[in-house]
Amino acid sequence: MLPRTIGRAVILLAVEAFFFILFAAFMKTDETGKVIAFLLFFIGLGVMFKKWEKARLTLTGLFKELKIVAGAGFVAMLLTLPFIFQASPYLIHICVMAGLFAILALGLNFQLGSTNVVNFATAASYGIGAYASALLAVHFHISFWLGLLVGGSLASIFGLLLGIPCMKTKDYYLSLVTIAFGLIVYILLNNFSWTGGPNGIPNIPPPSLFGHSFKEPLSLFGYQLPFQSNYYYLIFLLVGGSLFVAHRLHHSRVGLTWNAIREDEIAARCHGIDVTWYKILAFCIDAFFGGVAGTVYSHYIGFISPENFAFIVSVVVVTMVILGGMDNVFGVIIGAILLTILPEKFRAFEDFRVLIYGLIVVTMLMFRPQGLFPQKMRIYKK
Amino acid sequence: MSSLLETNKLTIHFGGLAAVNEVDFTIDQGETVGLIGPNGSGKTTFFNLLTGIYKPTGGEIRYCGKNMVGLPTFKIAKQGVARTFQNNRLFLNLSVLDNVLIGMHPQQDSNWFDAIFRRSYVEREIEQGVEKGLELLSQFSEGLLTNCYQRAGDLPQADRRKVEICRALASNPKLLLLDEPSAGMSPAETEELMEDIRKVRQKVGEIGIIIIEHDMAVIRKVADRVIVLNYGRKIAEGTFHEISDNELVLEAYLGREEKDAQA
Ligand SMILES: Nc1ncnc2c1ncn2[C@@H]1O[C@H](COP(=O)(O)OP(=O)(O)OP(=O)(O)O)[C@@H](O)[C@H]1O
Ligand SMILES: [Mg+2]
Repeated sequence: MLPRTIGRAVILLAVEAFFFILFAAFMKTDETGKVIAFLLFFIGLGVMFKKWEKARLTLTGLFKELKIVAGAGFVAMLLTLPFIFQASPYLIHICVMAGLFAILALGLNFQLGSTNVVNFATAASYGIGAYASALLAVHFHISFWLGLLVGGSLASIFGLLLGIPCMKTKDYYLSLVTIAFGLIVYILLNNFSWTGGPNGIPNIPPPSLFGHSFKEPLSLFGYQLPFQSNYYYLIFLLVGGSLFVAHRLHHSRVGLTWNAIREDEIAARCHGIDVTWYKILAFCIDAFFGGVAGTVYSHYIGFISPENFAFIVSVVVVTMVILGGMDNVFGVIIGAILLTILPEKFRAFEDFRVLIYGLIVVTMLMFRPQGLFPQKMRIYKK
Repeated sequence: MSSLLETNKLTIHFGGLAAVNEVDFTIDQGETVGLIGPNGSGKTTFFNLLTGIYKPTGGEIRYCGKNMVGLPTFKIAKQGVARTFQNNRLFLNLSVLDNVLIGMHPQQDSNWFDAIFRRSYVEREIEQGVEKGLELLSQFSEGLLTNCYQRAGDLPQADRRKVEICRALASNPKLLLLDEPSAGMSPAETEELMEDIRKVRQKVGEIGIIIIEHDMAVIRKVADRVIVLNYGRKIAEGTFHEISDNELVLEAYLGREEKDAQA
């Protein structure tokens, strides 16, 4: 039995490695033609996977059976990315940004995916976290690690403040309130003098850990990795943590209750669910994730201004959740990665970016409203 | 002994229309009361008043001796009032079992902190919930038990009604409100439904059930007492035999039957 399992594990890791190498190669291409060729190839693979049932069942069976091997292999490969991209820090930068957006999207998923609360204020919590920790670091020399907690908590409190007026409204009106809130935060950041106004906050110190500043290159196993790698590994941990929290919430009474509210609010009420409280809870948790991501962003880039937290950021995150899959944490992360990387690959079409987001949302809602990766039924062991 | 639920001149106006008009109603523990009346006579609205979805414009609702007027819906549900809906409001994109699990919400108490940091507690809660849910489903139909991970929206109408009743029962209610449970069912399925209701009564002896029905065969078989509404007013009350001889009731229904015959 054991040799057979090992054989299957090898096949599984080979499949993972294949996709990983494909991904790395894709990241390294920058000609529009080649990028499109890659994309067509991915889509072809996807279609084949869908049509060819035997291959699909074998593969999914393999992953289910050897969950731990699959997970470990995946983690190990991701950890080698900075080594592969050693010569091109820009690619590592894109990965860091993808991770930040993954955290934002996972946070928003509690609302948009689980509860069907369409919140367009992600940029606000992102910005509040960023500004809070940046101000603390610049004026009071508070360390990044404490700032991470403060940024998250403060954003969470603002989430609560936003949640309360939102509970007086529903559906489109609720979305309008969140848009207004996002704009208010943006305008305030622009107009307060203590936030630096439109000039923002420069010279935000990088985090340091055990005397190692994140601005310094990272030496690992005799390799000199560009400084972005520090943040890459930090983000890797944070995305892992967010995933862990999201997964646990999804598979609990709380996640189920959110889903009930999404499906039918009246029926939820009639089953003893305090809809208002659960929606506010989703606001707070979402904002916490946003605040954490904002903190990392401000210390990573070292400079923030209101432009970084404009309405468009919220739109992007909403698009990520809709594209990836409502209430499928894996899908949400894929959505975030896709929509971070693709715009970088299509720099030539920068001017049409917002138009493309709009097209993606409309196309998805028309043809595949559940997203690329739909929510799966919860299965309980028994 | 006070009754399980009692309304006193319960009234609601929608603009000029009194959809429920000064209705006095009582139900005791262990009793099944049929609520009948022509279309638009205010039956569903009466349920919506009892569950707090609408606020009455007049009158009282006493449940277990306590005044319920003004309480939000979820608090009323937490005190043991469960219902089903005329138009079936399952959580369509969730599994059958998840639907029933949500019904247990009022008795469970794990929160977000437990979900993230006290996993063993949450897992025990889920385990107990699943066990209870499967037991409930198995009492209603073996088919639902084997398909408990099916999407609720993929079920045929009759099964949806059953899941809805299971979901309502999952909260161990003291008062169960059924709004036309046999709507859209074949005679054989209706027969089965009546058997199910009988089983529920047998198992939970002290449960009070109010059942709205257009199918008089169902009312005759399951209701201990019948209340008739017409234009929001209670026009008759009594055993099935008493009300089936009642002039006012015949008049209210004949009007309707004539309309039906024309349609
Ligand atoms: N929210 C509302 N706003 C205005 N009028 C309403 C509202 N809800 C119900 N009504 C009116 O109240 C009256 C009673 O409706 P209700 O749904 O309670 O009737 P019903 O007895 O359940 O009828 P059916 O047998 O068709 O289900 C109807 O005339 C209906 O139009
Ligand atoms: Mg009705």
